[in-house]
Amino acid sequence: MKLFEPLTDSVFYIMASLTEPRHGYAVMSLVEETTKGAFVIGPASLYTIIKKLLKEQFIVMHDESDSRRKVYVLTDVGRQTLEADIARRKVMIEMAEKGLERGSIG
Amino acid sequence: MNQTKYILSAGLAFSEAADMKKLRHESMQGWHLKRFRCAGYELEKGDNEDVIYSIDYRLLEPDEKDEYFGMFAIAGWTHVCTEYNMHVFKAGKGTVPIYSDAESARDKISRLAIPVRSVTIYTVVPTVLFGLLMNFTSGTIQTVSQFAFYIALIFAVPSVMTYLATIYHQLKK
Repeated sequence: MKLFEPLTDSVFYIMASLTEPRHGYAVMSLVEETTKGAFVIGPASLYTIIKKLLKEQFIVMHDESDSRRKVYVLTDVGRQTLEADIARRKVMIEMAEKGLERGSIG
Repeated sequence: MNQTKYILSAGLAFSEAADMKKLRHESMQGWHLKRFRCAGYELEKGDNEDVIYSIDYRLLEPDEKDEYFGMFAIAGWTHVCTEYNMHVFKAGKGTVPIYSDAESARDKISRLAIPVRSVTIYTVVPTVLFGLLMNFTSGTIQTVSQFAFYIALIFAVPSVMTYLATIYHQLKK
């Protein structure tokens, strides 16, 4: 799986959820609530992506006292990666927004 | 004692989706997956149930199991059975699929391919060795290696086919 550059939507949402310490289930429910169910992450995808992020050291284990609900958080490298992808996504959004504005005037 | 029956797998590397569909049809008729058994599945008689089945491949460390199965449980997937690195789950229709993105789903197939690849090596290497021995020897050694070659070939052919199937699925996705 090519995780990085650009981040896939699933990876982006998971990293965005882990800006603060959270366990896997909290990530799933936060994404579902925030997007009002428009974007969902299946358990196998979530587990696979968390393992990949750990391997790349984009996240670290924050608290593993509850073996069912291990808590993870972004590392500095993870934060930088997320910031870079936000910038990339902003370019896309701005181009589309400006295009639509110009289109509606003309 | 509970009534059980056995159904054959079509080979997960070839037709995982077909196997899962077959399990679903069996469940609708009251036959529910209980465990993996010898290249197939053991089913147990119960009430009719409209459920979907999904399989994941992942070799879990003991300290990873709680979190892994916990995530599936919370997402509405009931763990049915596990054999080595294969885990089968079931859920009501309409539950979020266990793999929601194509990238992770592709990773799943490459994890399936790891044990398949080792088995393929362990069957193909003896086949080649005995094949060579058979051609460059004579007398008893030739007879014995010829016999061993055919035995090894019987195991090598299906494992190579399975390995090719995993490669094919990885390329297709």
